[in-house]
Amino acid sequence: MDFNFNEEQEMLRRMARDFLTEECPKSLVREMISDEKGYYPELWRKMAELGWMGLMLPEKYGGSGGGFLDLIVLLEEMGRACLLGPFFSSVVLGSSIVIEAGDEIQKQDLLPLIAKGDIIITLALTEASVDYNPASVSVRAKLDKDEWIIDGTKLFVPDAHIADHIICVCRSADSMGEDGITLLLVNAKSPGISVVPLQSFTGDKQCEVIFDKVRVPQQSTIGEVNKGWEYIGRLLQKAAVAKCAQMLGGAQQVLEMTIAYAKERVQFGRPIGSFQAIQHHCSNMMTDIEGSRLLTYRAAWMLTERLPCAKEVTMAKAWVTDAYKRVTILGHQAQGGVSVMEDHDMPLYSKQMASWGPAFGDATFHRKMLGQAWASE
Amino acid sequence: MDFSFSVEEEAFQREVKEFTRRELTEEVIQESVIGAAEGPAALAFRRKVGTKGWVCPAWPRDYGGIGGSNMQKFIIREEIGYHGGPYMGIASDMVGPAVLIYGSEELKMEYLAPIARGEIEVALGYTEPEAGSDLAAIQTSAIEKDDHYFINGGKIFSSGAHLADYHWLLARTDPSLAGHRGLSNFIVDLKSPGITITPMWCMTGRRVNQIFYDNVKVPKKNLVGEKNRGFYQTATALAFERTWVTGDMRRALEMLIEFCRKTERYGKPLVVDSVIQQKLAELAIEVEVTYLLAAKIAWMLDRGTVPEYETSMIKVFGSETASRLAYAGTEILGLYGQLAEGAKWSQLAGRFTFAFLDSSRLTITRGTSEVQRNIIATRGLGLPR
Repeated sequence: MDFNFNEEQEMLRRMARDFLTEECPKSLVREMISDEKGYYPELWRKMAELGWMGLMLPEKYGGSGGGFLDLIVLLEEMGRACLLGPFFSSVVLGSSIVIEAGDEIQKQDLLPLIAKGDIIITLALTEASVDYNPASVSVRAKLDKDEWIIDGTKLFVPDAHIADHIICVCRSADSMGEDGITLLLVNAKSPGISVVPLQSFTGDKQCEVIFDKVRVPQQSTIGEVNKGWEYIGRLLQKAAVAKCAQMLGGAQQVLEMTIAYAKERVQFGRPIGSFQAIQHHCSNMMTDIEGSRLLTYRAAWMLTERLPCAKEVTMAKAWVTDAYKRVTILGHQAQGGVSVMEDHDMPLYSKQMASWGPAFGDATFHRKMLGQAWASE
Repeated sequence: MDFSFSVEEEAFQREVKEFTRRELTEEVIQESVIGAAEGPAALAFRRKVGTKGWVCPAWPRDYGGIGGSNMQKFIIREEIGYHGGPYMGIASDMVGPAVLIYGSEELKMEYLAPIARGEIEVALGYTEPEAGSDLAAIQTSAIEKDDHYFINGGKIFSSGAHLADYHWLLARTDPSLAGHRGLSNFIVDLKSPGITITPMWCMTGRRVNQIFYDNVKVPKKNLVGEKNRGFYQTATALAFERTWVTGDMRRALEMLIEFCRKTERYGKPLVVDSVIQQKLAELAIEVEVTYLLAAKIAWMLDRGTVPEYETSMIKVFGSETASRLAYAGTEILGLYGQLAEGAKWSQLAGRFTFAFLDSSRLTITRGTSEVQRNIIATRGLGLPR
């Protein structure tokens, strides 16, 4: 066993930490929240120059051939810095699908541009039912000669308002479950698409995307027709663990803020960190974070090694989601009234719970997956 | 990063599994109470483990180890714990390490090899009526005179003292020094004249003991390490070895899931009930976190890192998880949850009933959850005292 990252990964972490401390101060995070685009193109370009968008992509597509664990290191640091923007959509979701399911032409067309940060690609998966069950995919795709016609509404599509391409998860047959789902690559500017950013308080930009008889050529199909859920199923595992890494970084930052405050804030003539009530809150936060770290890293390692890890992924997302909630609640509690002020950094982290928690399945969802596995064994 | 056992560790795990299958009889399991050996068959089993060098594998060969790793020890404890055997020795886990670090060569030769062979057991002698969480309030005195110390006072809540050979005693050697200073560690032969051991009965029905010292004469050589440094030596030894074996929790959880598969209520198996599923899944994840924490501590020890807050973390989290598992188990069993082993209609060998009765002890013994949380906050996070 080895619970450490390797030297290159530690270097990547240090570099990312320094870079984001410098380039992504909280003032910028606040600007991004109120900005319509939701990201800062200058910062985006610098991240691309560092090779972050292509970290996981093979070299022949302009990437650096890294593994999923390398990405986990970056995402943890991004969560810590509360970096907003389309990195998750374009890199974790979009480029993963293209790599796993795309044909050679699609890969050559899209991946080098993603790696350079020149295009943004996102995934339209969830709908009004807001769950991750294949049965909930109802946006229709019908083949009309050599074109697909897409009809229906996707909800909470991340960064669709700035995306160049949307990979739409469509119902392409008269079926209910995993079969009959097809992934279609759609130019976001196609006629018939309308995108409305939702007024989420988290700062993440998520959109309603309405497809009204949107026509895309047949060769825009990504992967096998009617077998799209196979790719989505695998992607959901990666996305869930990637979300865990963001929450882990955020939780660690919340703990550090809380500790710093508890050491200097004086009440009753003593630093509040000397009170056992505060100490026990902090100790519980630390235990939650240590558990998050172990479960996230193990699942990420297994995904990197391509080992079967459905159970380990669900355990990670269930635990980390709950742990993140507990850590942010205690972070507020220990830091008192000042921490619920809008200009404090705490709300940047605690608000994210409403987006990061349910993304790719909340704790209840993942515990249910574990339970169903026992029931069907 | 690597979360798997090495090829050698996997082979070792198979060897331990085979040994366990062969040697761990029903009788041994019956006599293994909360991981301790409390009968002749369980004691014999522990000696067999000792013959393999598996009681303290990571110790140097001179003192009875096999020069093995802490990961091997982790594997041994987990396997034995899973199959219901006696995995924990106070001697091997708490006393031995202190002797290894602080003891004289003479003491090491006298006690370590027999401990590693699983031949002797030691009872802990920390807690007193007026010194629980506040260990520095110990009043039992050890007065130096010629070649001996004369000990007066008493200890309480001592597990296994009625079966043990020796007492690992923390006593005040200098009454003029306050608190933490002025305490020293001794190894005392429990057959010494002047020692009286009387039973105290836990709510599980298990025996712990009160130990009275009436002018007990202990040779000077049995003082371990430095005089008046006992409190600090104890803290270091505990930080080294305080961990949590998850094997029995993992087994209990499997049994509970199996029970939920086989048991129908309202016309369907419990395991398809979503409330039951949520409860079981929550426990499974907590048990998994405990397992990973334990593996990480073994890994740290093998790298020569002394764990500090990590051992407190696993003690709090492991004991609280065990407690939640016990309560959830008895809740799922419903009315059957009150039937102890041996009672007619008792379920799952009364395992959850016993664990339920024992659960409040777990979060108190060996440093309460509150004391552990203080340690995590001050040592792990640097919060002020």
